[in-house]
Amino acid sequence: MSIGATHIDHIVIRSSDSAATAAHFSRLLGAPIRRTMTRPGTGAHLEFMKFGEVILEFAGPPQPSEGEPRAELAGFVLCVRDIHAAVSRLRDRGYPVGDPKPAVQPGALIATVRGGTHGVPFAIMQYGAIPQSPANEEPEA
Amino acid sequence: MKLLKIDHVGIVVRDLQEALATYERNFGLKADPSRGGEIPALGIRNAFVPVGESDLEFIQPITDQGPVAEFARQRGEGQFLLSLAVDDLEAAVQHLRALGCRVSDPNNGIAFVSPRSTFGVNLQLIQRG
Repeated sequence: MSIGATHIDHIVIRSSDSAATAAHFSRLLGAPIRRTMTRPGTGAHLEFMKFGEVILEFAGPPQPSEGEPRAELAGFVLCVRDIHAAVSRLRDRGYPVGDPKPAVQPGALIATVRGGTHGVPFAIMQYGAIPQSPANEEPEA
Repeated sequence: MKLLKIDHVGIVVRDLQEALATYERNFGLKADPSRGGEIPALGIRNAFVPVGESDLEFIQPITDQGPVAEFARQRGEGQFLLSLAVDDLEAAVQHLRALGCRVSDPNNGIAFVSPRSTFGVNLQLIQRG
């Protein structure tokens, strides 16, 4: 059974201070931070870098912890061609999958697979899944 | 240092064949049979599953020594490392060392950045071809 995954869209690095961690990685890797935002609802501070087709997302609390940041790999997101079909197939297999909901990326829907992924927090995502206005185009990062 | 792409995400699993079967059967993601195998020097058995231009690398410890076995002992299964493809590994290592990072000597086209230099994230640098 295929869920129609096309590529890894993004990999999450969770940190106690996402701004400091992103700045550190930017300096080490010589790559710019492409986008910074606050996640609606949770207030999480997000920063993004991009390498090829894959985005690195640095995610942290609204207020960073004191001291040196602690960071860890915290999951990834696969792009799929049809998120509703993929969710349906996974549920048919018995997977606990959340309902697709709007992602922070304009026009995209995302659904979390809540288990059965061998310890890797995992979500699927489809760009262009929400009817577009001219402003709702896929971001560069 | 020129980063080309995210080469792969390393995922530690308890049973490699079981993990590969799960990802193929339930997600349609199949291992590349031309890559992977046992690497006694690292104490691991691995396989690569292509997804777009990057791979998922599934890694099973086959000894109780080394960082993969240590990760499995402490955390069980999970995301272990992020591998970055570079165009010139020697230059990348020198660049990171000049910035104060602890980086292993390149070996077989691979070098590891100490997590002490990355706030805890295991980074691997790899030069393909």
